[in-house]
Amino acid sequence: MIEVLKAGLLMSIQDQGRFGFRHIGVSQSGAIDPFAAKMANTLLKNDIDDAVIEITLGLAKLLFKCDTVIALIGTDMQAQLDDKPVYPGWTYAIKQGQTLSFKTARNGFRGYVGVKGGVLCEPVMGSRSTDLAAGFGGTNGQALKQGDNIQIQPYYKDWPKRGGILPPKRNVIRVHPSIHADLLTEHALRSFCEISWCVKPQSNRMGVRLSNENSTLSHSHSLPSLAVNPGSIQLPPNGEPIVLLNDAQTTGGYPLLGTIISADLHHFAQLKPGDSIRFEYVDMSTAIKAQKKMTAHFAQLAIALNNAY
Amino acid sequence: MNLQQNVKITATSSHTLFLDATHLKDPLLSVQKKIWALVKRCKATAAFIDIVPAMNSLTLYLANSDDSNQWQEKLLLWWETTDIEENKGTHHKIITQYGGNTGADLEFIAEHHGVSTQRVIELHTSVTYHVLFLGFKPGFTYIHGLPSELHTPRRSEPRTHVPKGSVAIGADQTGIYPADSPGGWHIIGHTDFSLFDWQKAPPCAIAPGDTLQFISDEALS
Repeated sequence: MIEVLKAGLLMSIQDQGRFGFRHIGVSQSGAIDPFAAKMANTLLKNDIDDAVIEITLGLAKLLFKCDTVIALIGTDMQAQLDDKPVYPGWTYAIKQGQTLSFKTARNGFRGYVGVKGGVLCEPVMGSRSTDLAAGFGGTNGQALKQGDNIQIQPYYKDWPKRGGILPPKRNVIRVHPSIHADLLTEHALRSFCEISWCVKPQSNRMGVRLSNENSTLSHSHSLPSLAVNPGSIQLPPNGEPIVLLNDAQTTGGYPLLGTIISADLHHFAQLKPGDSIRFEYVDMSTAIKAQKKMTAHFAQLAIALNNAY
Repeated sequence: MNLQQNVKITATSSHTLFLDATHLKDPLLSVQKKIWALVKRCKATAAFIDIVPAMNSLTLYLANSDDSNQWQEKLLLWWETTDIEENKGTHHKIITQYGGNTGADLEFIAEHHGVSTQRVIELHTSVTYHVLFLGFKPGFTYIHGLPSELHTPRRSEPRTHVPKGSVAIGADQTGIYPADSPGGWHIIGHTDFSLFDWQKAPPCAIAPGDTLQFISDEALS
Protein backbone atom coordinates (compact mmCIF):
# COMPACT_ATOMS: atom_id res chain seq x y z
CA MET A 1 0.00 0.00 0.00
CA ILE A 2 1.04 3.59 -0.64
CA GLU A 3 -0.38 6.43 1.45
CA VAL A 4 -0.86 9.84 -0.14
CA LEU A 5 0.66 12.41 2.24
CA LYS A 6 0.32 15.27 -0.24
CA ALA A 7 -1.53 15.08 -3.57
CA GLY A 8 -0.31 18.34 -5.12
CA LEU A 9 -2.25 20.03 -7.92
CA LEU A 10 -3.83 16.85 -9.32
CA MET A 11 -2.86 13.23 -8.73
CA SER A 12 -4.80 10.34 -10.25
CA ILE A 13 -4.55 6.69 -11.24
CA GLN A 14 -4.35 6.17 -15.01
CA ASP A 15 -3.52 3.42 -17.48
CA GLN A 16 -3.49 3.40 -21.30
CA GLY A 17 -7.15 4.44 -21.33
CA ARG A 18 -10.71 3.20 -21.71
CA PHE A 19 -11.73 2.04 -25.18
CA GLY A 20 -14.85 0.64 -26.80
CA PHE A 21 -17.39 2.91 -25.06
CA ARG A 22 -17.12 6.16 -26.98
CA HIS A 23 -20.50 5.51 -28.64
CA ILE A 24 -22.21 5.84 -25.25
CA GLY A 25 -20.35 9.02 -24.39
CA VAL A 26 -17.57 7.57 -22.22
CA SER A 27 -14.28 9.48 -22.49
CA GLN A 28 -10.99 7.74 -23.17
CA SER A 29 -9.27 8.89 -19.93
CA GLY A 30 -5.81 7.40 -19.32
CA ALA A 31 -2.32 8.84 -18.89
CA ILE A 32 -1.95 12.13 -20.80
CA ASP A 33 1.50 10.84 -21.74
CA PRO A 34 0.76 7.19 -22.56
CA PHE A 35 4.39 6.70 -23.68
CA ALA A 36 5.64 7.69 -20.22
CA ALA A 37 3.25 5.20 -18.58
CA LYS A 38 4.37 2.56 -21.09
CA MET A 39 8.02 3.36 -20.33
CA ALA A 40 7.43 2.97 -16.57
CA ASN A 41 5.75 -0.40 -17.12
CA THR A 42 8.43 -1.56 -19.57
CA LEU A 43 11.24 -0.80 -17.10
CA LEU A 44 9.35 -2.66 -14.36
CA LYS A 45 8.51 -5.58 -16.66
CA ASN A 46 4.83 -4.95 -15.97
CA ASP A 47 2.03 -5.28 -18.50
CA ILE A 48 2.12 -2.22 -20.76
CA ASP A 49 -1.45 -1.33 -19.75
CA ASP A 50 -0.83 -1.51 -15.96
CA ALA A 51 -2.03 1.53 -14.00
CA VAL A 52 0.42 4.20 -12.84
CA ILE A 53 0.15 7.35 -10.71
CA GLU A 54 -0.01 10.60 -12.68
CA ILE A 55 1.34 13.65 -10.84
CA THR A 56 0.68 17.21 -12.02
CA LEU A 57 3.23 19.96 -11.37
CA GLY A 58 4.62 18.28 -8.23
CA LEU A 59 4.30 19.37 -4.57
CA ALA A 60 3.36 15.79 -3.78
CA LYS A 61 4.46 13.21 -1.22
CA LEU A 62 3.91 9.45 -1.04
CA LEU A 63 4.58 7.07 1.88
CA PHE A 64 5.36 3.45 1.01
CA LYS A 65 3.86 0.99 3.50
CA CYS A 66 5.52 -2.04 1.90
CA ASP A 67 8.60 -2.90 -0.16
CA THR A 68 8.27 -2.40 -3.90
CA VAL A 69 10.11 -1.15 -6.99
CA ILE A 70 9.13 2.08 -8.70
CA ALA A 71 9.88 3.67 -12.06
CA LEU A 72 9.95 7.46 -12.23
CA ILE A 73 9.12 8.84 -15.69
CA GLY A 74 8.17 12.20 -17.12
CA THR A 75 9.25 15.67 -16.17
CA ASP A 76 11.87 16.36 -13.50
CA MET A 77 10.07 17.43 -10.31
CA GLN A 78 13.20 17.34 -8.15
CA ALA A 79 12.04 14.11 -6.53
CA GLN A 80 13.60 12.74 -3.36
CA LEU A 81 13.46 9.28 -1.84
CA ASP A 82 13.63 10.23 1.85
CA ASP A 83 16.44 12.81 1.60
CA LYS A 84 18.23 11.41 -1.48
CA PRO A 85 17.58 12.82 -4.95
CA VAL A 86 16.07 10.43 -7.51
CA TYR A 87 15.80 11.00 -11.24
CA PRO A 88 13.22 10.46 -13.97
CA GLY A 89 13.96 7.61 -16.36
CA TRP A 90 15.10 5.19 -13.66
CA THR A 91 13.80 2.40 -11.42
CA TYR A 92 14.38 2.42 -7.65
CA ALA A 93 13.93 -0.33 -5.09
CA ILE A 94 11.83 0.93 -2.18
CA LYS A 95 11.79 -0.22 1.44
CA GLN A 96 8.72 -0.09 3.65
CA GLY A 97 8.49 3.28 5.42
CA GLN A 98 10.31 5.32 2.77
CA THR A 99 8.77 8.51 1.42
CA LEU A 100 8.93 9.84 -2.13
CA SER A 101 8.48 13.60 -2.36
CA PHE A 102 8.30 15.98 -5.28
CA LYS A 103 9.09 19.69 -5.47
CA THR A 104 7.96 21.58 -8.59
CA ALA A 105 8.37 20.69 -12.23
CA ARG A 106 10.95 22.93 -13.90
CA ASN A 107 10.61 22.12 -17.59
CA GLY A 108 7.34 20.24 -17.84
CA PHE A 109 4.03 19.56 -16.15
CA ARG A 110 3.43 15.85 -15.54
CA GLY A 111 5.32 12.98 -13.97
CA TYR A 112 4.50 9.31 -13.56
CA VAL A 113 5.24 6.79 -10.83
CA GLY A 114 4.95 3.19 -11.94
CA VAL A 115 5.05 0.41 -9.33
CA LYS A 116 6.06 -3.22 -9.72
CA GLY A 117 2.87 -5.13 -10.58
CA GLY A 118 0.92 -1.94 -11.31
CA VAL A 119 -1.53 -0.01 -9.14
CA LEU A 120 -4.31 -2.37 -8.10
CA CYS A 121 -7.87 -1.16 -8.35
CA GLU A 122 -10.98 -2.65 -9.89
CA PRO A 123 -11.13 -2.11 -13.68
CA VAL A 124 -14.29 -0.34 -14.86
CA MET A 125 -15.25 -0.96 -18.50
CA GLY A 126 -11.89 -2.60 -19.05
CA SER A 127 -9.72 0.16 -17.60
CA ARG A 128 -8.31 1.28 -14.25
CA SER A 129 -8.13 4.90 -15.40
CA THR A 130 -9.91 7.50 -13.29
CA ASP A 131 -12.70 9.26 -15.20
CA LEU A 132 -12.69 12.43 -13.12
CA ALA A 133 -15.76 14.01 -14.75
CA ALA A 134 -18.01 10.95 -14.70
CA GLY A 135 -16.74 9.73 -11.33
CA PHE A 136 -15.65 6.14 -11.85
CA GLY A 137 -12.44 4.15 -12.18
CA GLY A 138 -9.25 4.58 -10.14
CA THR A 139 -9.98 5.19 -6.46
CA ASN A 140 -13.73 5.95 -6.19
CA GLY A 141 -13.66 7.84 -9.47
CA GLN A 142 -11.88 10.75 -7.83
CA ALA A 143 -8.52 12.45 -7.84
CA LEU A 144 -6.24 11.13 -5.09
CA LYS A 145 -6.26 13.21 -1.95
CA GLN A 146 -4.34 13.38 1.31
CA GLY A 147 -4.90 10.23 3.41
CA ASP A 148 -5.92 8.01 0.46
CA ASN A 149 -4.34 4.58 0.22
CA ILE A 150 -3.19 3.21 -3.13
CA GLN A 151 -3.25 -0.59 -3.31
CA ILE A 152 -0.14 -2.33 -4.62
CA GLN A 153 1.30 -5.83 -4.43
CA PRO A 154 4.47 -5.86 -2.22
CA TYR A 155 7.68 -6.87 -3.98
CA TYR A 156 10.61 -8.00 -1.81
CA LYS A 157 13.13 -9.41 -4.29
CA ASP A 158 16.23 -7.59 -5.48
CA TRP A 159 15.79 -5.38 -8.51
CA PRO A 160 18.56 -4.23 -10.87
CA LYS A 161 18.51 -0.48 -11.52
CA ARG A 162 17.21 0.17 -15.03
CA GLY A 163 16.86 3.29 -17.12
CA GLY A 164 15.31 4.44 -20.36
CA ILE A 165 14.76 7.72 -22.13
CA LEU A 166 11.69 9.19 -23.77
CA PRO A 167 11.92 10.68 -27.27
CA PRO A 168 13.04 14.35 -27.24
CA LYS A 169 10.67 17.32 -26.92
CA ARG A 170 9.27 19.02 -30.01
CA ASN A 171 8.40 22.69 -30.32
CA VAL A 172 6.52 22.30 -33.58
CA ILE A 173 3.65 19.85 -33.29
CA ARG A 174 2.66 17.88 -36.39
CA VAL A 175 -1.00 17.91 -37.41
CA HIS A 176 -3.21 15.95 -39.84
CA PRO A 177 -5.08 18.30 -42.23
CA SER A 178 -8.46 19.78 -41.30
CA ILE A 179 -11.66 18.19 -42.62
CA HIS A 180 -13.22 21.67 -42.39
CA ALA A 181 -10.65 23.41 -44.58
CA ASP A 182 -13.31 24.76 -47.00
CA LEU A 183 -15.36 26.16 -44.14
CA LEU A 184 -12.44 27.71 -42.25
CA THR A 185 -10.56 28.87 -45.40
CA GLU A 186 -6.96 28.21 -46.41
CA HIS A 187 -6.04 31.63 -45.08
CA ALA A 188 -7.14 30.72 -41.54
CA LEU A 189 -5.32 27.37 -41.63
CA ARG A 190 -2.13 29.08 -42.80
CA SER A 191 -2.44 31.67 -40.09
CA PHE A 192 -2.90 28.85 -37.50
CA CYS A 193 0.56 27.52 -38.46
CA GLU A 194 2.27 30.90 -38.79
CA ILE A 195 1.73 32.13 -35.26
CA SER A 196 3.00 30.84 -31.95
CA TRP A 197 0.27 29.83 -29.48
CA CYS A 198 0.34 30.36 -25.73
CA VAL A 199 -1.09 27.77 -23.30
CA LYS A 200 -3.88 29.30 -21.18
CA PRO A 201 -4.26 28.61 -17.43
CA GLN A 202 -7.75 27.12 -18.04
CA SER A 203 -6.08 24.03 -19.58
CA ASN A 204 -6.66 20.66 -17.92
CA ARG A 205 -6.94 16.92 -18.66
CA MET A 206 -9.91 17.66 -20.97
CA GLY A 207 -7.96 19.97 -23.21
CA VAL A 208 -5.19 22.51 -23.67
CA ARG A 209 -6.61 25.95 -24.43
CA LEU A 210 -4.49 28.20 -26.61
CA SER A 211 -4.46 31.92 -27.24
CA ASN A 212 -2.63 34.53 -29.27
CA GLU A 213 -3.64 38.16 -29.15
CA ASN A 214 -3.08 38.45 -32.92
CA SER A 215 -5.35 35.52 -33.70
CA THR A 216 -7.65 36.21 -36.66
CA LEU A 217 -9.37 32.86 -36.44
CA SER A 218 -12.68 33.94 -34.89
CA HIS A 219 -15.75 32.79 -36.83
CA SER A 220 -19.48 32.14 -36.51
CA HIS A 221 -19.75 28.55 -37.76
CA SER A 222 -21.65 25.87 -35.90
CA LEU A 223 -21.68 22.29 -37.13
CA PRO A 224 -23.81 19.19 -36.65
CA SER A 225 -22.18 17.33 -33.72
CA LEU A 226 -19.39 15.03 -34.84
CA ALA A 227 -17.13 12.61 -32.97
CA VAL A 228 -14.03 14.17 -31.40
CA ASN A 229 -11.13 12.51 -29.59
CA PRO A 230 -7.80 13.23 -27.90
CA GLY A 231 -5.77 15.13 -30.50
CA SER A 232 -8.72 16.83 -32.21
CA ILE A 233 -8.11 20.60 -32.40
CA GLN A 234 -11.41 22.41 -31.98
CA LEU A 235 -11.85 26.01 -33.05
CA PRO A 236 -14.62 27.71 -31.05
CA PRO A 237 -16.08 30.98 -32.45
CA ASN A 238 -13.71 33.09 -30.29
CA GLY A 239 -10.80 31.91 -32.46
CA GLU A 240 -8.85 30.31 -29.61
CA PRO A 241 -8.05 26.66 -30.46
CA ILE A 242 -8.53 23.84 -27.95
CA VAL A 243 -6.39 20.70 -28.28
CA LEU A 244 -8.57 17.96 -26.83
CA LEU A 245 -6.87 15.57 -24.42
CA ASN A 246 -7.82 12.27 -22.78
CA ASP A 247 -10.78 13.45 -20.65
CA ALA A 248 -12.49 15.28 -23.52
CA GLN A 249 -16.13 14.74 -24.41
CA THR A 250 -16.83 12.28 -27.24
CA THR A 251 -18.78 14.58 -29.60
CA GLY A 252 -18.67 18.29 -30.36
CA GLY A 253 -20.02 20.89 -32.77
CA TYR A 254 -17.03 23.19 -33.33
CA PRO A 255 -15.06 23.10 -36.60
CA LEU A 256 -11.76 21.19 -36.37
CA LEU A 257 -8.39 22.64 -37.37
CA GLY A 258 -7.05 19.11 -37.67
CA THR A 259 -5.84 16.23 -35.52
CA ILE A 260 -2.45 15.99 -33.80
CA ILE A 261 -0.52 12.99 -35.12
CA SER A 262 -0.42 10.09 -32.64
CA ALA A 263 3.37 10.31 -32.24
CA ASP A 264 3.20 13.96 -31.08
CA LEU A 265 0.12 14.16 -28.85
CA HIS A 266 2.05 13.09 -25.74
CA HIS A 267 4.02 16.36 -25.84
CA PHE A 268 0.88 18.10 -24.52
CA ALA A 269 1.36 16.27 -21.21
CA GLN A 270 4.30 18.54 -20.50
CA LEU A 271 2.83 21.90 -21.57
CA LYS A 272 2.05 24.21 -18.68
CA PRO A 273 0.24 27.56 -18.64
CA GLY A 274 2.39 30.21 -20.30
CA ASP A 275 4.32 27.79 -22.54
CA SER A 276 4.24 28.42 -26.25
CA ILE A 277 3.76 25.97 -29.08
CA ARG A 278 3.54 25.96 -32.86
CA PHE A 279 1.92 23.68 -35.41
CA GLU A 280 2.63 22.37 -38.90
CA TYR A 281 0.46 20.28 -41.19
CA VAL A 282 2.00 17.02 -42.38
CA ASP A 283 0.85 14.28 -44.73
CA MET A 284 -0.21 10.78 -43.76
CA SER A 285 3.10 9.11 -44.60
CA THR A 286 4.98 11.49 -42.26
CA ALA A 287 2.51 10.68 -39.47
CA ILE A 288 2.86 6.94 -40.00
CA LYS A 289 6.66 7.17 -40.15
CA ALA A 290 6.67 9.12 -36.87
CA GLN A 291 4.45 6.51 -35.23
CA LYS A 292 6.69 3.66 -36.46
CA LYS A 293 9.67 5.49 -34.96
CA MET A 294 7.91 5.58 -31.58
CA THR A 295 7.10 1.88 -31.82
CA ALA A 296 10.72 1.14 -32.73
CA HIS A 297 11.91 3.19 -29.74
CA PHE A 298 10.01 0.90 -27.38
CA ALA A 299 10.99 -2.25 -29.26
CA GLN A 300 14.66 -1.28 -28.88
CA LEU A 301 14.19 -0.62 -25.17
CA ALA A 302 12.51 -4.00 -24.66
CA ILE A 303 15.35 -5.76 -26.52
CA ALA A 304 17.99 -3.86 -24.55
CA LEU A 305 16.34 -4.77 -21.24
CA ASN A 306 16.02 -8.43 -22.20
CA ASN A 307 19.65 -8.61 -23.30
CA ALA A 308 20.97 -6.82 -20.24
CA TYR A 309 19.30 -9.05 -17.67
CA MET B 1 -33.64 8.61 -53.06
CA ASN B 2 -30.45 10.60 -52.56
CA LEU B 3 -29.05 8.11 -50.09
CA GLN B 4 -27.23 6.31 -52.88
CA GLN B 5 -25.21 9.46 -53.44
CA ASN B 6 -21.61 9.21 -52.47
CA VAL B 7 -20.54 10.08 -48.99
CA LYS B 8 -17.12 11.47 -48.25
CA ILE B 9 -14.75 9.27 -46.25
CA THR B 10 -11.61 10.94 -44.93
CA ALA B 11 -8.72 9.53 -42.94
CA THR B 12 -8.71 12.22 -40.23
CA SER B 13 -5.67 10.60 -38.62
CA SER B 14 -3.59 7.47 -39.10
CA HIS B 15 -6.13 5.44 -37.13
CA THR B 16 -9.48 7.24 -37.67
CA LEU B 17 -11.89 7.34 -40.60
CA PHE B 18 -14.63 9.96 -40.81
CA LEU B 19 -17.70 9.25 -42.93
CA ASP B 20 -19.49 12.50 -43.69
CA ALA B 21 -23.12 12.33 -44.83
CA THR B 22 -24.14 15.77 -43.56
CA HIS B 23 -24.39 17.12 -47.12
CA LEU B 24 -27.09 14.64 -48.15
CA LYS B 25 -30.35 16.51 -48.35
CA ASP B 26 -32.47 13.53 -47.44
CA PRO B 27 -34.39 13.77 -44.20
CA LEU B 28 -31.95 13.70 -41.32
CA LEU B 29 -33.55 10.55 -39.90
CA SER B 30 -33.21 8.48 -43.12
CA VAL B 31 -29.52 9.33 -43.34
CA GLN B 32 -29.11 8.39 -39.68
CA LYS B 33 -30.92 5.07 -40.20
CA LYS B 34 -28.46 4.22 -42.93
CA ILE B 35 -25.60 5.05 -40.55
CA TRP B 36 -27.02 2.71 -37.88
CA ALA B 37 -27.20 -0.10 -40.45
CA LEU B 38 -23.58 0.61 -41.35
CA VAL B 39 -22.61 0.61 -37.65
CA LYS B 40 -24.09 -2.87 -37.36
CA ARG B 41 -22.02 -4.09 -40.29
CA CYS B 42 -18.84 -2.53 -38.89
CA LYS B 43 -19.48 -4.04 -35.44
CA ALA B 44 -19.53 -7.50 -36.96
CA THR B 45 -15.86 -7.11 -37.89
CA ALA B 46 -12.94 -6.92 -35.45
CA ALA B 47 -11.41 -3.98 -37.32
CA PHE B 48 -12.56 -1.17 -35.03
CA ILE B 49 -11.87 -0.26 -31.40
CA ASP B 50 -14.65 2.32 -31.32
CA ILE B 51 -17.54 3.01 -33.70
CA VAL B 52 -19.08 6.41 -33.05
CA PRO B 53 -22.12 7.69 -34.93
CA ALA B 54 -22.87 11.40 -34.55
CA MET B 55 -25.21 13.77 -36.46
CA ASN B 56 -25.31 12.23 -39.98
CA SER B 57 -21.69 11.18 -39.66
CA LEU B 58 -19.74 8.17 -38.46
CA THR B 59 -16.23 8.02 -37.01
CA LEU B 60 -14.38 4.71 -36.96
CA TYR B 61 -11.35 4.08 -34.74
CA LEU B 62 -9.15 1.46 -36.41
CA ALA B 63 -7.48 -1.29 -34.42
CA ASN B 64 -4.68 -1.32 -36.98
CA SER B 65 -3.73 1.82 -38.92
CA ASP B 66 -2.28 -0.33 -41.73
CA ASP B 67 -5.88 -1.17 -42.70
CA SER B 68 -6.89 2.46 -43.26
CA ASN B 69 -6.81 2.58 -47.09
CA GLN B 70 -8.53 -0.75 -47.44
CA TRP B 71 -11.35 0.28 -45.10
CA GLN B 72 -11.76 3.66 -46.74
CA GLU B 73 -12.59 1.86 -49.99
CA LYS B 74 -14.68 -0.84 -48.35
CA LEU B 75 -16.82 1.68 -46.47
CA LEU B 76 -17.65 3.55 -49.67
CA LEU B 77 -18.82 0.29 -51.16
CA TRP B 78 -20.71 -0.64 -48.00
CA TRP B 79 -22.53 2.70 -48.03
CA GLU B 80 -23.88 1.76 -51.46
CA THR B 81 -24.80 -1.78 -50.50
CA THR B 82 -26.23 -1.27 -47.00
CA ASP B 83 -29.99 -1.03 -46.68
CA ILE B 84 -31.92 0.84 -44.03
CA GLU B 85 -33.52 -1.48 -41.50
CA GLU B 86 -36.77 -0.44 -39.87
CA ASN B 87 -37.24 -0.80 -36.11
CA LYS B 88 -34.25 -3.00 -35.39
CA GLY B 89 -33.23 -1.22 -32.17
CA THR B 90 -34.58 -1.80 -28.68
CA HIS B 91 -37.71 0.10 -27.69
CA HIS B 92 -37.51 1.77 -24.25
CA LYS B 93 -40.46 3.01 -22.23
CA ILE B 94 -39.55 6.03 -20.12
CA ILE B 95 -42.05 6.29 -17.28
CA THR B 96 -42.14 9.98 -16.45
CA GLN B 97 -43.65 11.98 -13.65
CA TYR B 98 -44.61 15.26 -15.31
CA GLY B 99 -44.83 18.59 -13.47
CA GLY B 100 -44.66 19.12 -9.73
CA ASN B 101 -41.39 19.86 -7.92
CA THR B 102 -39.36 17.70 -10.27
CA GLY B 103 -40.86 19.21 -13.41
CA ALA B 104 -40.85 22.87 -12.49
CA ASP B 105 -40.95 24.26 -16.05
CA LEU B 106 -44.00 22.29 -17.27
CA GLU B 107 -46.27 25.28 -16.69
CA PHE B 108 -43.83 27.63 -18.40
CA ILE B 109 -43.84 25.43 -21.51
CA ALA B 110 -47.67 25.32 -21.47
CA GLU B 111 -47.91 29.11 -21.11
CA HIS B 112 -45.26 29.71 -23.75
CA HIS B 113 -47.31 27.77 -26.29
CA GLY B 114 -50.71 28.86 -24.97
CA VAL B 115 -51.91 25.34 -24.18
CA SER B 116 -52.76 23.39 -21.02
CA THR B 117 -50.12 21.38 -19.15
CA GLN B 118 -52.18 18.32 -19.99
CA ARG B 119 -51.76 19.11 -23.70
CA VAL B 120 -47.96 19.42 -23.27
CA ILE B 121 -47.90 15.96 -21.68
CA GLU B 122 -50.13 14.56 -24.44
CA LEU B 123 -47.85 15.94 -27.13
CA HIS B 124 -44.65 14.82 -25.41
CA THR B 125 -45.97 11.27 -24.95
CA SER B 126 -47.63 11.07 -28.38
CA VAL B 127 -44.61 10.17 -30.49
CA THR B 128 -41.92 7.53 -30.84
CA TYR B 129 -38.50 9.13 -30.54
CA HIS B 130 -35.37 7.88 -32.31
CA VAL B 131 -32.01 7.76 -30.53
CA LEU B 132 -29.73 9.45 -33.09
CA PHE B 133 -26.49 9.06 -31.14
CA LEU B 134 -24.97 9.45 -27.68
CA GLY B 135 -22.21 11.80 -26.68
CA PHE B 136 -21.14 14.84 -24.72
CA LYS B 137 -21.17 12.90 -21.45
CA PRO B 138 -21.77 9.25 -20.47
CA GLY B 139 -25.32 8.25 -21.36
CA PHE B 140 -26.40 11.59 -22.83
CA THR B 141 -28.81 10.71 -25.62
CA TYR B 142 -29.55 12.86 -28.68
CA ILE B 143 -33.11 11.97 -29.66
CA HIS B 144 -35.19 12.96 -32.65
CA GLY B 145 -38.92 13.53 -32.88
CA LEU B 146 -40.01 16.30 -30.51
CA PRO B 147 -43.31 17.63 -31.94
CA SER B 148 -42.76 21.12 -33.37
CA GLU B 149 -45.56 22.47 -31.12
CA LEU B 150 -43.19 21.95 -28.19
CA HIS B 151 -40.04 23.55 -29.62
CA THR B 152 -39.01 26.13 -27.02
CA PRO B 153 -35.93 28.37 -26.81
CA ARG B 154 -33.53 27.36 -24.03
CA ARG B 155 -33.65 29.15 -20.67
CA SER B 156 -31.97 32.54 -20.82
CA GLU B 157 -30.10 31.63 -17.65
CA PRO B 158 -28.96 28.01 -17.27
CA ARG B 159 -29.55 26.34 -13.91
CA THR B 160 -26.40 25.50 -11.98
CA HIS B 161 -27.89 22.20 -10.85
CA VAL B 162 -30.25 19.94 -12.75
CA PRO B 163 -30.88 16.58 -11.03
CA LYS B 164 -30.19 13.24 -12.69
CA GLY B 165 -33.31 11.86 -14.41
CA SER B 166 -34.74 15.25 -15.31
CA VAL B 167 -36.80 15.14 -18.54
CA ALA B 168 -36.33 18.40 -20.38
CA ILE B 169 -36.95 20.40 -23.55
CA GLY B 170 -34.33 22.62 -25.19
CA ALA B 171 -34.99 24.21 -28.59
CA ASP B 172 -36.06 21.40 -30.98
CA GLN B 173 -34.79 18.63 -28.71
CA THR B 174 -35.97 16.72 -25.71
CA GLY B 175 -33.77 14.63 -23.47
CA ILE B 176 -32.98 13.12 -20.11
CA TYR B 177 -30.13 14.30 -17.87
CA PRO B 178 -27.98 11.17 -17.26
CA ALA B 179 -26.32 12.69 -14.15
CA ASP B 180 -26.56 15.78 -11.95
CA SER B 181 -25.18 18.69 -13.96
CA PRO B 182 -25.72 22.33 -14.88
CA GLY B 183 -28.26 22.76 -17.67
CA GLY B 184 -30.19 25.27 -19.74
CA TRP B 185 -33.15 23.15 -20.84
CA HIS B 186 -36.69 23.46 -19.44
CA ILE B 187 -37.40 20.66 -16.98
CA ILE B 188 -40.86 19.20 -17.50
CA GLY B 189 -40.62 15.99 -15.53
CA HIS B 190 -38.56 13.29 -13.89
CA THR B 191 -37.86 9.64 -14.63
CA ASP B 192 -36.21 6.91 -12.59
CA PHE B 193 -35.05 5.30 -15.83
CA SER B 194 -31.27 5.12 -15.46
CA LEU B 195 -29.40 6.20 -18.58
CA PHE B 196 -25.96 5.38 -17.30
CA ASP B 197 -24.66 3.31 -14.41
CA TRP B 198 -21.00 2.36 -14.50
CA GLN B 199 -21.63 -0.54 -12.12
CA LYS B 200 -23.89 -2.23 -14.66
CA ALA B 201 -22.80 -4.26 -17.68
CA PRO B 202 -23.50 -2.76 -20.11
CA PRO B 203 -23.44 0.59 -18.30
CA CYS B 204 -25.88 2.18 -20.71
CA ALA B 205 -29.26 0.65 -21.56
CA ILE B 206 -29.79 2.85 -24.61
CA ALA B 207 -27.85 2.67 -27.88
CA PRO B 208 -27.94 4.63 -31.14
CA GLY B 209 -30.75 3.25 -33.32
CA ASP B 210 -33.03 2.47 -30.38
CA THR B 211 -36.45 4.06 -30.01
CA LEU B 212 -37.97 5.75 -26.96
CA GLN B 213 -41.44 6.51 -25.76
CA PHE B 214 -42.29 8.74 -22.81
CA ILE B 215 -45.22 7.49 -20.72
CA SER B 216 -46.90 9.60 -18.05
CA ASP B 217 -46.98 7.80 -14.69
CA GLU B 218 -50.55 9.05 -14.26
CA ALA B 219 -51.61 7.16 -17.37
CA LEU B 220 -50.44 3.97 -15.66
CA SER B 221 -52.31 4.37 -12.39
